[in-house]
Amino acid sequence: MSATSERREAATELARVEERCAELCELAGAAGAEQAEAYGQRVRLRSARFEKGELALGKATDGTAIGLRVFDAGRLGFAHTNQTDGEALERTARDAAALAALTPPDEANGLCEPEGEPAGEPAGEPAPPDLWRADTAALDVEAALEHGARFVQRMTASDPRVRIDEATLTVGRSHTALANGLGLRRAESDAWISFGALGMAVEGNEVGGFHSVHDFVRDLGELDQALERCADELTGVALANLGAGAAESYRGPVLLAPSAFAALVVSPIVSASGAIAVQRGRSALAGRLGERFASERLTIHDDPSDPELAGATGFDREGQPVARRALVAEGRLEALMYNGYAARVDGVATTGNAAGGPRSVPGLGAHGVCVAPGDGGDEEQMLTALGRGLWVRRFSGTVDPISGDFSGVAKGACWVEGGRVTRSVRETLVAGNAFELASSILALGSHSERCYGSARLPMALIDSVSVTAG
Amino acid sequence: MTDAPDPTDLLQEALDEAGDGFVELRSHRKRTRGVAVEKGRVDSARTSEHTGVGVRVLVGGAWGFASTDRLEARAVREAIDDARRVARASRPARAQADLPPVELARGRFDAEGLEETLERPIDEALDLALGLERQAREASGSIQSATCAYSEVYEEKGIVTSDGARAWTRLVRPELYVEAVAARDGELQRAYEAVGATGGWECLFRRHSGPELAERAAKNAVDLLDADYPAGGRRKVLLSPSLVGLLTHEAIGHTVEADFVRAGSCAAGKLGERVASELVTLCDSGQSELIDGAGGTIAVDDEGVAAGRCVIIEQGKLVSYLHDRASAAHFETAPTGNARAWEYGDAPLIRMRNTYIEPGQSTLEELIANTEDGLLLDGCAGGQADANGEFMFGTREAYPIRQGKLGPLMRGANISGVAFDVLQTVDGVGDSFRWDLGAGHCGKGQPAKVDAGGPWLSCEVIVGGRQT
Repeated sequence: MSATSERREAATELARVEERCAELCELAGAAGAEQAEAYGQRVRLRSARFEKGELALGKATDGTAIGLRVFDAGRLGFAHTNQTDGEALERTARDAAALAALTPPDEANGLCEPEGEPAGEPAGEPAPPDLWRADTAALDVEAALEHGARFVQRMTASDPRVRIDEATLTVGRSHTALANGLGLRRAESDAWISFGALGMAVEGNEVGGFHSVHDFVRDLGELDQALERCADELTGVALANLGAGAAESYRGPVLLAPSAFAALVVSPIVSASGAIAVQRGRSALAGRLGERFASERLTIHDDPSDPELAGATGFDREGQPVARRALVAEGRLEALMYNGYAARVDGVATTGNAAGGPRSVPGLGAHGVCVAPGDGGDEEQMLTALGRGLWVRRFSGTVDPISGDFSGVAKGACWVEGGRVTRSVRETLVAGNAFELASSILALGSHSERCYGSARLPMALIDSVSVTAG
Repeated sequence: MTDAPDPTDLLQEALDEAGDGFVELRSHRKRTRGVAVEKGRVDSARTSEHTGVGVRVLVGGAWGFASTDRLEARAVREAIDDARRVARASRPARAQADLPPVELARGRFDAEGLEETLERPIDEALDLALGLERQAREASGSIQSATCAYSEVYEEKGIVTSDGARAWTRLVRPELYVEAVAARDGELQRAYEAVGATGGWECLFRRHSGPELAERAAKNAVDLLDADYPAGGRRKVLLSPSLVGLLTHEAIGHTVEADFVRAGSCAAGKLGERVASELVTLCDSGQSELIDGAGGTIAVDDEGVAAGRCVIIEQGKLVSYLHDRASAAHFETAPTGNARAWEYGDAPLIRMRNTYIEPGQSTLEELIANTEDGLLLDGCAGGQADANGEFMFGTREAYPIRQGKLGPLMRGANISGVAFDVLQTVDGVGDSFRWDLGAGHCGKGQPAKVDAGGPWLSCEVIVGGRQT
């Protein structure tokens, strides 16, 4: 299919989703709803799945989902369907309106008023990201199979001990639209490639711990480099996991890879920055707006404008403008994240953080978490700064987003002596509290890395972590 | 909803014109109703419908998959064509020999509790959630916030294959979650209770009523404010049935999934070997063995194979892996009915269903009395397992045991170990049994509804507590 006809087809598909959303809003009115908002998505996926290093399944799926939120005198109802014929849409409208008749009223329920074009707030921020990439969108299942095979080949050819349990590569494109009864209309098209793998190294009778990688690109020109980076990371860590020995138990500094830093410290802070968590009394950061609660080294932004991150968008789940905003600046809680509901509770403007897809009521969340790099230098310098202790490359455990307590296994972990890796370790658990450790950041690496395609973070050296060796 | 037409008629019509070669058609209608309440406010009252047909074909040794959201014979035939195009593009893939003949399911399979749950108006669920949230929130002045969420998923599947399966299955799965957050001097502690079942509300509330669940969540949240952290290290522990369920699922179940075995998991090559204490017999079943209502119950898997009981470890010896039709062909054995797909757009993978350790002879009191120095652990908080058998899972409550006596509540900690090594340390198996992970999902590229359980179990693990 030529690029021109691809573009034409994409425009037609987007227009169809917009029409269905508008139609559903009207049907909701006919069903008795006072206010209605429809959010629809048409998604096309072409993927290749590999097992044991070999192609297992090629896959082609297309589907539509539309979610309808209605309000009736402050009462909420929601219905979702993946069927787009008239009868299904009528049933969806009736279901949402019937639910709204049952629920108790809440004065903060209601639609967001149209507030101009998306983005551009605050002044000086970049224009909304253009997420459509015609060359990426034009890829079909043959391309997914070819790129996926190349990804797997790079991992398995690197060393005969490397085994790939599973790898997938998906080419996707989506058309998203929102319409509400106040006349707000939003539409956006996106095209991307996501891929990931899970593998380990096997030598004789020894099976090393597995490592997983995942990334996401929109620009086809970036794909090769991203595939190579992920493949090399997986094979490097999987091979290093062979011959793992024991660590030592202690309480003190550990070096966290970006993904482990995200899981243990950054995610609980971002979660606690949600206004609903604060309003409902389940945020450790309640009442601390403007206060310093973390190390001055910590600055966190929510950035929906970075097209290299999966969560980039021009509008939020309620169709409101989005913009890059600081949540934490030099250790100080700078702002809370709001959706329309939370904003009305506090009597402020939404920050465009309504989150979620068409299958559920809009929630609240960040679009793209970005932690500013520090001055700790590169990996070698961070290892030197650690001196002696544990380097955690992946965390497998539980983090309570409310209390901040975490406990779990350090995966792909290494023991460091004199600033150098001496051995990989197994059966080693780490524990602590995210909000306490936020004050114990000793250094952040000088480069932020894209993490799972959805965030940017540097390495972090953090004090006062409990390490228990098995 | 309960008098819906047989979906296999449409699939058979499409299949009859599909030509030669293996074709597997699976229609899947999923309808969800749910409510969520926090601090007196209804955050969600929703219905959801997700319906379509997944098509898998085998062409020249290569698989192809496509799907359609239109329940029309013509759309299904187009999806068959798409799947064949994908399969042809996939060659040369790993050559899959033709699937060997196997007895495939035919007929209608309705799970327990279907009518009762579907006919219950959503008002009752809303009233239940509002009442339980209020009860938990008002249980103590220390409670800052409470949440209650109820959902029920109705699933209807039609499975028709070119080699003889023609099954129509229907089931319903209700779930309830109650959470309380307690606060003191700026510290927050959270506790929750979650239950899920395949069946009606009788199954859902078989052990605790709704008000009992709300009371337990609120009490635990408040008690955790005064609780200390356990010390870390290798410890003797008594694992509750929910944690035994997690152990069987995370630590053993994943390593014996045949696709993972083929990739080189630690269970590879161990069939027939002793991998656990003789006290351990571990199974996975599509049926709700021992007690009704297990959350992962299915009558027929998504390849049309009857989902029976599979003994994985028999008195300490590894005797079987979990298989779909393709892996069973590779290992020259029979499929175990473990092929499952989350939604119509997902291809079936090897997944667990209800995984458990069979009960033994000891009472809980005897297990406690026989423990000189250890921890009693309860309440699961998720977990993962590694290819090398190393597992991790979270616990929510811990009680010290000193010289056979139980001490006060401590905060939960994550525990870890190497699966088969830990099972070798089992020195006591309780005589009671319960399913206790019915509100859980397993993740493996796509979710799967599973359950797990067992008796109380005495063994040795690494506890990731705090260091001083």
